[in-house]
Amino acid sequence: MNKLNIAVVFGSRSAEHDVSIVTAIVSIIKPLELTGDYNVIPVYISKDGNWYSDNKLKDINAYSGDKLTSLLSHLKPISLGFSNGLQIIQSGFSKKSINIDLVFPATHGTHGEDGELMAICEMANVAYVGCDVRSSSVAMDKVLAKQVIQSSGIDITKYVAFSKHDFLKDATTSLRTINSELTYPVFVKPAHLGSSIGITRVKESKDLENAIEVALHYDDKVLVEEEVSNLVEVTLPILGNQELTPALLEQPMLHAEDFFDFDTKYLRGGKKGGKGKSSSGSQGYSIIPAKLPKDLYDKAEATGLRVYKALGCSGIARVDMLIDTKTNKVYFNEANPLPGGLYAHNWNKAGMTNIDLVTRLVELAIERKAERDSVETVFKTSYLSQFK
Amino acid sequence: MISKFLNLYKPQFFTTITYMLQSSEYDPIKYLQWFWHTQDFGKVRNRGSLKKTKAARLILLATYLLALLFIALGIFFIYQWHFHELMGGLEFGIAFLLGYPVIIANLVIVPLFLGKIILISPRNNRKILASEKIFANFKGEKIAIVGSYGKTSMKELLMTVLGDHLKIAATPGNKNVPISHANFAFNLKGDEEILIIEYGEGAPGDVELFARITHPSRAIITGLAPAHLDKYKTLDAAGKDIFSVANFVDENMVMVNNESSETHKYLKPNYKTYDYHQVMGWKIDDIKVKLDGTSFTMTKDNASLKLISHLIGKHHVGVLALVAALAMEFGMSSSEIVSAIAETRPYEHRMQPYKLHNAWVIDDTYNGNIEGMRVGTELLAHLKAKRKIYVTPGLVDQGEENKNVHEKLGELIAKANPDMVVLMKNSVTEHIKTGLHKGQYKKKLIIEDNPLRFYKNLDQFVAEGDLVMMQNDWPDQYK
Repeated sequence: MNKLNIAVVFGSRSAEHDVSIVTAIVSIIKPLELTGDYNVIPVYISKDGNWYSDNKLKDINAYSGDKLTSLLSHLKPISLGFSNGLQIIQSGFSKKSINIDLVFPATHGTHGEDGELMAICEMANVAYVGCDVRSSSVAMDKVLAKQVIQSSGIDITKYVAFSKHDFLKDATTSLRTINSELTYPVFVKPAHLGSSIGITRVKESKDLENAIEVALHYDDKVLVEEEVSNLVEVTLPILGNQELTPALLEQPMLHAEDFFDFDTKYLRGGKKGGKGKSSSGSQGYSIIPAKLPKDLYDKAEATGLRVYKALGCSGIARVDMLIDTKTNKVYFNEANPLPGGLYAHNWNKAGMTNIDLVTRLVELAIERKAERDSVETVFKTSYLSQFK
Repeated sequence: MISKFLNLYKPQFFTTITYMLQSSEYDPIKYLQWFWHTQDFGKVRNRGSLKKTKAARLILLATYLLALLFIALGIFFIYQWHFHELMGGLEFGIAFLLGYPVIIANLVIVPLFLGKIILISPRNNRKILASEKIFANFKGEKIAIVGSYGKTSMKELLMTVLGDHLKIAATPGNKNVPISHANFAFNLKGDEEILIIEYGEGAPGDVELFARITHPSRAIITGLAPAHLDKYKTLDAAGKDIFSVANFVDENMVMVNNESSETHKYLKPNYKTYDYHQVMGWKIDDIKVKLDGTSFTMTKDNASLKLISHLIGKHHVGVLALVAALAMEFGMSSSEIVSAIAETRPYEHRMQPYKLHNAWVIDDTYNGNIEGMRVGTELLAHLKAKRKIYVTPGLVDQGEENKNVHEKLGELIAKANPDMVVLMKNSVTEHIKTGLHKGQYKKKLIIEDNPLRFYKNLDQFVAEGDLVMMQNDWPDQYK
């Protein structure tokens, strides 16, 4: 039986470019190759937006220092073909074209995780792993996600949102709205970014404007939301299309003031002090499973699964929630349609090997495509006859 | 194909053949067998590297100089043919230039062979004869440890338990050949109370020779299994050699591992046996085995010892009990023995447990015999885990028993019924598969044709709740 050609796409013009490289090479390419069942083709999108494909891009060492610049200077960017599917076309004396059977996205953040890459796959009618266009774009917009979730009857924290245009036009009104509707401390976040980039915790109103400007440096939409008291933050990775499999509820931090910014999360292993049993993970500091009373654990898990369904997620996603341990209320925080490192450390703790994880994701992608293919989208009409 | 051929002409080729010599312990036959079945010299050193000893440096230098000489000769002959019409010059020249790597790789054993006969063997023989007098005059206890397996573990356990309370010397590392014993004798301080001498059997007559030289007062026979059968040919030949040590000590000073069924036909009434039921009059019970250690109780008359060790596996109980009983005989108190046994820990690559990615792995890759495999598979069956994985390449040096041993291994694995079996692909894989089939193993079987890649990426194959038993290793020189 012929092996499937799987293109793992990573990098991209995104603030999470570097995280994406690690996700692709460590969490996806390596276990896929170890199965021996697939031809794994790396597709790297550089920061300037060029697409490259070469086996040397599978080596994490190729990305350190000046090595990447040197490597890319010897490669020609690829182009994509859409002839009865998706092809990767290498330019050169003899154009080499590889048919892609499945795309495995690993492009975190903008121009990738937000549905743009998924859209290309949909247009090319090729199977791809993870959330589809619709759920990806909704999940990656924190404001839109909150609106969808709220309408599904799931609790969310109080928030105010506005665009860059509106803030620049009339900052005073935006600030006044925040001060009147929300209680400090608040979190100011770019609406479309992940990996805790551009997020500021604001304790007093005098610091609010600066925090908004930081967020608007990265995005054209801002979300300001209230902090939850008596907070326990949890996250739940989930796998599945229709039938869902949750991993373990993970507790990434203990105190609200210890929230992780990008630097702490990825560069310093998430260690900001604190008590409790640590477990290695992409953040390097978390309790798995979260230490909660059983009924609260079950409530949070059930909420996470409802969120996954409400957003229309498929393949894999991660749902972040905030728990007020005094009132036992579980609030939706955000959804991540392409978890960093696939959150393999959590799946591992739940008893799923890295190899099983990527294999299952490939199966889910194929299942979803088969389902979509069974739906008729092209049919004859008489619409054009009026122009005869 | 072309890159494999070109590997012969890279400078690293000579490092590779030196490494092959070193790994074969400079045994010309083993080296040549390995050389002639290697297809890609570029991959030989994937799992190991050359240790730059004096001998290795000398060989490397000699091969480089020979290479330069051959290349120069090749060029000379072609020059002579071209400019002076030397007949056959072209053919000789090309032969030297193309053939020098293979010629040198085979020539290099000649000085080794000659050196062994002319220099090394006579010098060693003189030393061995001199050491015999040292052993004969030693008045303390001399414990010979003999067997197909478990010798080094027994020696190290005795050292660990007795070492803090008694003056002990033991043959170092895995140095268990006559010249090593001789060197050991010459390095004794003279105040030792007990000598522990590990006998490495490799060929018929070895054990008898060791016993003649070292004059043991006590012998521990750790077990008999098909091992090193490339020289012994049959298990019976190995058994006879191992039990020949009993001819040099009083019969009631011979202690035999009763759990090794192959030893039973060589037992005599006065020999003392040990196993997980009894040893030297001590009764053993209340055995508990967990991943963090093994515990049991031994009782004799009114004395009782509750022992806990970090070693894992029921197969350690008889050995630990023997060591405790000997310690008692040599004058250690009960509390000293309990504390000393509590210090015993797994040795590297011998039933050594460690955590990997939330899974437990038991590294038993230094195991090299079917008895050890039986113990490992039984332990795997006994321990609780969400998912059990068994990994092995099989056993080397099984001689005529190769097929039977590996089919037996397959059956043992099937009996343990792990959720997944990973076999490293080599010449014995099909025999193991036959055994698995006979044992009606129905779960997941993986044949891995890149062992290095598997071991290096083991973390990708395991998760929380998994228990992996890895037994034995398959050195590069074996097919």
